[in-house]
Amino acid sequence: MITLYSILLTMSVYYFARFLAAKYSSPLTSPVFISTVIIIIFLVMSNVSYDEYIPAKNIMTYLLGPATIALAVPIYKNRLMFAKYFVAAIMGLSIGIITTITSAILLAKCFQFSKDFTLALTVKSVTVPVATEIGKIIHGNISLIVAYVIITGMIGAMFGAKLLNMFKVDHPFARGLSIGTIAHGIGTAEAVKEGEIQGAVAGAAMGIAAVFTSFIIPYLIPLMF
Amino acid sequence: MIRTMGKFSIQMLILIGIYQIGNLTVRIFHLPIPGNVSGIIILFFLLWIGIIKIDHIEMAAGWLLKHLSFFFIPISVGLMTLGPVFVTKGVSFLLVLIVSAFIGLLSAGKATQAVIMKKEKEKVNYHDHAL
Repeated sequence: MITLYSILLTMSVYYFARFLAAKYSSPLTSPVFISTVIIIIFLVMSNVSYDEYIPAKNIMTYLLGPATIALAVPIYKNRLMFAKYFVAAIMGLSIGIITTITSAILLAKCFQFSKDFTLALTVKSVTVPVATEIGKIIHGNISLIVAYVIITGMIGAMFGAKLLNMFKVDHPFARGLSIGTIAHGIGTAEAVKEGEIQGAVAGAAMGIAAVFTSFIIPYLIPLMF
Repeated sequence: MIRTMGKFSIQMLILIGIYQIGNLTVRIFHLPIPGNVSGIIILFFLLWIGIIKIDHIEMAAGWLLKHLSFFFIPISVGLMTLGPVFVTKGVSFLLVLIVSAFIGLLSAGKATQAVIMKKEKEKVNYHDHAL
């Protein structure tokens, strides 16, 4: 019963959020952000705990895997572009990942975050399924990692396009790469709406960034702590 | 209508199947990549060598990508368990994530665009020279 309520609630809030985003375009109407806020408010008001929401979550995210691999379609369609900009992509990706991790850790040190809180920052830009796997290897706090990853994705989805506009990053390939590298799947979902190239590049960048991060983390951690 | 639904379901089953194959290959060969990334690579190759044609999956793939945001919402609702942390650490927590995300977004975007522009400029110069 609670599961059915949770599913209907999530779906109707999502449809409402899409309608809202189409009508008023703003970072605050970014669908993942606004839907999450509204759903949490409803669950708290109707006394449903997160544990009770989990069965509904498992049903609704069943198609996340197939949806992620569907990104192969735009990647395939734009394959010539990937070959053309291969060097640019590798440069942008590695610079993006290294600067975002380094700046996060330096800031965390300024705020005197505990080791758990700092360690989890190393995987904040990696897509959820990979971040949790890396988290186990580095003995990180998994629920904290998931929170960092989701919030980072939301930040990218909400402000990424605006920030890139402001600093005149207007090439669709560079825009997609930037959002996919930093804001993984949640950012990619937003990039897909901006254009086919952006979506394809973001999806590919998300995958490559995940693999790249899992390779560099064992070398990075001894340098940071 | 029924025909479209049948076609859609078959396409969806193809995508689910490839996703499962992606998970399986990672587990069997102990690959250092997640199942979904392996699934993307497998589907890309199947499209490339022509075993699967774009038409075979485009309807379901397009629908899934259109609603990609939806699948992240139930996962994000998990943030509700983090209430106490937010009360004590909220501001510095968000500040670190926002500033580092902005730095990453800009450096990735700027670096990529700079390399692309350089490449394209070189091409123009070469062209001038040929003239």
